[in-house]
Amino acid sequence: MRPYRSVTGPLVLILVGVVFLLQTLSPGLRWFDLFVQYWPWLLIGWGVIGLIEVCIQFSLNHSLPANGVSGGGWLLVVLICALGFSAFEWHRPDTWWRQAGFDRSMQAFGQEHEFSVEPIQRTAGRAPHVVMENFRGDAKITGIAGELVTVAGHKTIQSMNNHDAERANTQTPVEIVSKGDRIVIRCHQDRAESRTTVTTNLDISVPKGASLEATGSKGDFDVSSLTGDVDISSENAGIRLQDLGGGAKLDTRRSDLIRCTNMRGTVDLRGHGTDVELTKIAGQVTMSGSYGGSVSFHELAKSVKVENLRTDFSVQQVPGEIRLERGSLSMNNVVGPIHLTTRTTDVTLDNFTEGLDLSADKGDIELRPGRLPLGRMNVHTGSGNIELTLPQRAGFAMKASTESGEIENDFGSGLQQRADGRGAKLEGSVGDGPDVSLVTNRGRISVRKMTGEVVNGRMALLPPVPPIPAMADKW
Amino acid sequence: MINRRGMFVRAIRGPILLITIGTLFVWQQANVISFARTWPSILIVLGILKLLERIASPVAYVPPPQPPAGGFTR
Repeated sequence: MRPYRSVTGPLVLILVGVVFLLQTLSPGLRWFDLFVQYWPWLLIGWGVIGLIEVCIQFSLNHSLPANGVSGGGWLLVVLICALGFSAFEWHRPDTWWRQAGFDRSMQAFGQEHEFSVEPIQRTAGRAPHVVMENFRGDAKITGIAGELVTVAGHKTIQSMNNHDAERANTQTPVEIVSKGDRIVIRCHQDRAESRTTVTTNLDISVPKGASLEATGSKGDFDVSSLTGDVDISSENAGIRLQDLGGGAKLDTRRSDLIRCTNMRGTVDLRGHGTDVELTKIAGQVTMSGSYGGSVSFHELAKSVKVENLRTDFSVQQVPGEIRLERGSLSMNNVVGPIHLTTRTTDVTLDNFTEGLDLSADKGDIELRPGRLPLGRMNVHTGSGNIELTLPQRAGFAMKASTESGEIENDFGSGLQQRADGRGAKLEGSVGDGPDVSLVTNRGRISVRKMTGEVVNGRMALLPPVPPIPAMADKW
Repeated sequence: MINRRGMFVRAIRGPILLITIGTLFVWQQANVISFARTWPSILIVLGILKLLERIASPVAYVPPPQPPAGGFTR
């Protein structure tokens, strides 16, 4: 039999020849970009050719190669992978090293050029719908009396030289366009060449009744004193909303801070971010996504539903506060029923009313309901201690068990305690009251009496929560 | 000694691996799933091919004593 010679080598030669011929004939083609985009197909193509070759040899009963791909071949494969992968990473807009800040220092090789944006005005009626598209830069949007939309500010243009910056400045005028009942604020930042980056920072005043719809790529939004709805979606933004009459829908892919203060409508957060602060919200609050920093809620008048990373909870009202951080969740002065499931989090609940359903995979749980009458409680943790502190006159039907650990009981003989293997059980009733079930697979359970007296259904030790004047009518 | 079917499975190992790796990188670039999460499937494919090789030629492969490298007549 004739020794087998692969056709892959000649095919690669032909391919390289064709590529170079095409390049000499039409220099406009961007081979690097094509390679960056399609290099994995080279491997697939090579594999398919090799496979077909072997199949043909086999069916023709010719001799077979020892390996479909030789040692040198594999070296080439590794080379292609390394080249292609690094080229692709280099080209990607949101790769890790760009996020780590290398890109900014790369851009810093150019210079920043400042240009002012002359104020422009347009009559817009009392309640226009203001739209900003693909905005890059910081925007401060304020509602004022009247029917005028006013835009002013400045541009920061990053480029290698003055000439490029001047050209980019003329290419990217700021305009106010009215389209039916919409007012569109355009910055034309996409017209600039790819080597220059145009950041437009705007101070925008709009009629009080306006609603806002904005999409941004990077930059902060600061919105205040509007009565319409606000809908912002951004790749990367810090968002601050204040004194808004309508609902807010915020969708971010990255964000360092989302802060909403004194809002009369609903707040809906989606996406990814870091810190979230919601204070004095009269409408419902929903939050779903991953916000990895510290999340705090104060004075929320309606129900709250949160699905954040691996912690989900819902409560009916938050006159006090909720604070969620990595590894810990605390609530003080909230109105239930509370539903809470979490993976690995220490949970501390103070002064909560109505029922509680709590399930944690791992974490210590401290519960101090503080008020009478008690609500029904159903608490489970896979691994962790449970400490329940109840007012002295509390009535309840207890059912507590730990599979491995001890139980401490301050309520005396009304509750019967017995050992159960390595764990313990506590059952019985004190007075008349709802079911309280505490279960941990591994950990100590403590049922304690609160020191201090309950006055008017509240603990005297706890300062009363001041009413919220602005929203008193809503409660 | 290894038989002809075993040699066939061994010969298609390289191309099949290439296609697998290529596909994983295509997925990575299309943002379907990251290569960092899919690479173990290369091991699985390799294992399956090895297994097929064993099944195709059940007799253990004894390398010829001389010469030690490339001692495999084409």
